[in-house]
Amino acid sequence: MIQGEKRVKMSISMGRYYFAVLPLLALQSLPASAYPEFQQFVEENSHRTVNCAMCHVNENGPVGNSKGQIGSFTPDEMKLLNQARAAIDPGVKVESPILNQFGNEIIKAIGKKTFVKIKSDPGRLAELLPQTSDLDGDGIPDAKEYLDGTDPLNKFHGDPGKLFFINLDRYKMHIILAIVAVLSLNYGLIHLINGISILQAGKSAKD
Amino acid sequence: MIDLDRATHSLTQFVSERFPVEKLNFHSMVEKKEVPIHSMSWGYYTGGLTMFFFMIQVVTGLFLLFYYQPTVSDANISVEYISLHVAGGALIRNMHAWSSSCMIFFAMVHLLTAFAMKSFVKPREITWIAGVILLFITFTFGFTGYLLPWNQIAVNATKVGLQSVEYVGQYLPGQLSEVPRILRETFQGESSVGQSTLGRFYALHVVILPLLLAALLGLHLLSVQLHGMSQGVDQPAKKFEKFISIFLFKDLTLWATVFLGLFVVAMCVPFDSILPYPLLAPFNALGATPQGIKPEWYFFFVYYPLELLPFWVILVASTVVVGILILTPWIFKGTSRRTLGFIASAAAAYLVIMTVFGEQIYEFFKH
Amino acid sequence: MIDSLLFVALPYLAIFVGVFGSIYRMRTAPMTYSSLSSQFLESKGLMWGSLPWHIGITVILLAHVIAFLAPGFWQSLVSHQAVLQAVESIGLGLSILCLLGLIILGLRRLTSAKLQAVTSVMDLVVILLLLLQVGLGTAIAVHCKWGSAWCSGTTTPYLWSLVTFQPDVSHVSDLPLLVKAHIVGAWLFILVIPFSRLVHMFAVPVEYLFRPPQNVVWTNPRKFSADNQHFVREEARRHFMRAFAGIAFGGFLLSIGTFRNVFSFFFGPRLGREEETELMELRLSRLESTVGQRKLELERQASNYILVGKLAELSPANGKYFIDFKMQPAIAFKGKDELPLLISAKCTHLGCTVGNQVDQQGRILCPCHVSYFDIVSGEPNAEAPAKAPLPHLGWVIMDDGGKVLARRDAGGKTTGAVDPKLRETACVYISKDQEGKA
Repeated sequence: MIQGEKRVKMSISMGRYYFAVLPLLALQSLPASAYPEFQQFVEENSHRTVNCAMCHVNENGPVGNSKGQIGSFTPDEMKLLNQARAAIDPGVKVESPILNQFGNEIIKAIGKKTFVKIKSDPGRLAELLPQTSDLDGDGIPDAKEYLDGTDPLNKFHGDPGKLFFINLDRYKMHIILAIVAVLSLNYGLIHLINGISILQAGKSAKD
Repeated sequence: MIDLDRATHSLTQFVSERFPVEKLNFHSMVEKKEVPIHSMSWGYYTGGLTMFFFMIQVVTGLFLLFYYQPTVSDANISVEYISLHVAGGALIRNMHAWSSSCMIFFAMVHLLTAFAMKSFVKPREITWIAGVILLFITFTFGFTGYLLPWNQIAVNATKVGLQSVEYVGQYLPGQLSEVPRILRETFQGESSVGQSTLGRFYALHVVILPLLLAALLGLHLLSVQLHGMSQGVDQPAKKFEKFISIFLFKDLTLWATVFLGLFVVAMCVPFDSILPYPLLAPFNALGATPQGIKPEWYFFFVYYPLELLPFWVILVASTVVVGILILTPWIFKGTSRRTLGFIASAAAAYLVIMTVFGEQIYEFFKH
Repeated sequence: MIDSLLFVALPYLAIFVGVFGSIYRMRTAPMTYSSLSSQFLESKGLMWGSLPWHIGITVILLAHVIAFLAPGFWQSLVSHQAVLQAVESIGLGLSILCLLGLIILGLRRLTSAKLQAVTSVMDLVVILLLLLQVGLGTAIAVHCKWGSAWCSGTTTPYLWSLVTFQPDVSHVSDLPLLVKAHIVGAWLFILVIPFSRLVHMFAVPVEYLFRPPQNVVWTNPRKFSADNQHFVREEARRHFMRAFAGIAFGGFLLSIGTFRNVFSFFFGPRLGREEETELMELRLSRLESTVGQRKLELERQASNYILVGKLAELSPANGKYFIDFKMQPAIAFKGKDELPLLISAKCTHLGCTVGNQVDQQGRILCPCHVSYFDIVSGEPNAEAPAKAPLPHLGWVIMDDGGKVLARRDAGGKTTGAVDPKLRETACVYISKDQEGKA
């Protein structure tokens, strides 16, 4: 029902043809787009709402003139953008100003060509991404966070069940120490009250 | 004149029965106090647990107060700063969030068990009413605290919540119909949710509500200690345990266990991770409202019916429920514990179903 | 040379003498296989000395033994910083407890005349040796920190090399003098076990922990017949002792874990330059957006016309958000007549901001409670919770010289027209007088 409302539809897919074109031209014609296929896939797969901010700088995608959108770029940034668009093969380090760290990581890992190719099968992205890469360090690999529809760049955001076991393992010693400390405090307090009440009882028995 | 005398007399009698001065000493309030043992004894622990979570809220809240900045430009960033940079900040914030949910949960359980155990009859009417007000204060705590991180869900949910207040106006006659709007604008402080709202909610959340709650809690506890534990079941209990030592031991041990549980959960599961991340982005005054704006889970029991039924139905129903809650000590004076238990379980079932399956029910009827 | 004498010959000698000596003593004089109780001669000093000493040394020795017997387990334990810190602080605390206990025990032997009668030279030697050994241990804990971690690469393999009869001194030969002295002290200590009261440590009275407490008292009919107040006090005291132990240990452990964190919570983070810059930039950008908001408000307060956008920029499907004179959101579309279509974006239900994408039926959606609004009529769909239509806003089109080309009031009446030549440059405004009328 809400399809039309949330998807920003344009297409950077043509980006690579632009790669030789003057930045100014790219600015004017604005045929850019986020890839709604991926967003759609993630939402269906994870039952979580996601937006463009998973891979882009701006939550509304690359079009417009706010921060991280094509309309706001300086010539230097346009240069970076076009360099990123030219990264057809994997392994090229890109710093596209429309993409966030995760977006750039995707392009670096699989290259623009493969990325455009898997548009029809967005689930493949999770297989192609490096399985160990974990940009936010929360213990859930980026590829898994992509499937879960959680923020791959926020270490306080991830699938709650997975985070629970990961953090339980990570902080097990803290937790054990806390348990020992609290239980012995509790033990001490209980005996304190016990001691007091025995004294009280003794006193009232004497009275 | 005679009438006045009689009124004064009955008032003094009412007060002196509720606050028996002769029992106002350590010996009878603490030393002699005994807790009955029966099948519903677990109900006696729920109030203490609620208070324990309130204490955690106070402590963690004081910690957060050192870094939180209640301005529209800095609120969200300061919360992020606490999580990301301050040592132990993420844990403290997480505990505050989890424990707020626990506090509300146990407050509701406490209300239901106290109802089922008929702990509101003479001379405990004041205890009950104070308790009901405490529950409302707790809900207000939740509502005001929800806004403070100033992210998409916070601001938009608050907008919807406040606007619902104004919605009441159309069912009120004449001059009265303006009252909800005036009320909303008073809380909001300006024409839409903004800096003034944040400042007001902040003041409510960190100063006014805690003071109110502490004062009422004092009254509540005083009257609990004055009158002792209520009998709770129909047959007078055969066994009792002493409040000092035995009951207190169990209470302390329970608190310790619950604290450890809270600690583990707060350490391992960030409260925010339950929500989709677009809702956690800082509030953008110029953008559209994102999808999936929902209140916290403890408002689901009124939120989903509100989505499904006409507004006036909810309005009438909630007015009736609040009225019944406040007048419970008189309405249910003669009702048997069996019936009360049945009502309480029905209410509990409704709450659980609406909270857990509310979304599915909503989807089912709307599509 | 001296190393192999002290770290190979001495250990084997000590263990040989220690083991066989103890067995010999047990066989020949089993009744001496304990330490003589002196509790009935002097009890106050005994309690304050013996208790701390025995609590401390038992735990410390246990840690030494675990580190030696299960080095892998121990290593995995202390490789957690929290545990390492806890172990080290507890170790230091207990060793100080031991020292205090020992000093009290020593003074007690030296000052009480009754005790001197039963004190042998060997007892004093033992106390001295223990003082020296525990003192060295404490010094190591202070000067050579994290001993519980580095022992697994040094002393543990050394001990195992002795056990497996392949003595290897190289593990310990480059350790600081303090540590070496502590090791030698340990061997000396084992050497004297069979000749002293120390043999009692092989007869650990475990059952003492579970039996009811016994106290040796002078029999005295007056005391004997006294009420049970004494026992009540004793009972309460036992609880207080446990309370003290529990609270002290728990509080201690908790303080190790929390004090530093609580302190650094309030001390606040000191960010690196890069992080600080990033944070400042973020703060600045948020402030700027607030500034933008305030400017909008001021502009709406002061000026009569507010720019919505260029006429050419407007699209029929993808609305442009703007803020009206009441600081409420609104959306600008291009209508079918090629003229602007301005509609309020504040949902008439509960005030959410309505979306700006038009669907196939020409409607925009409020996501909060799913109301669809027709952009031409403003009416919500039949099932929508919103009942009232979204109001339209009036507009004014001006050319770049500020000349009014066309206008529409809030009632929908349009006057004037836009010359197609001026379409590219003309801009859409909302004006205050229209707002007032609406």
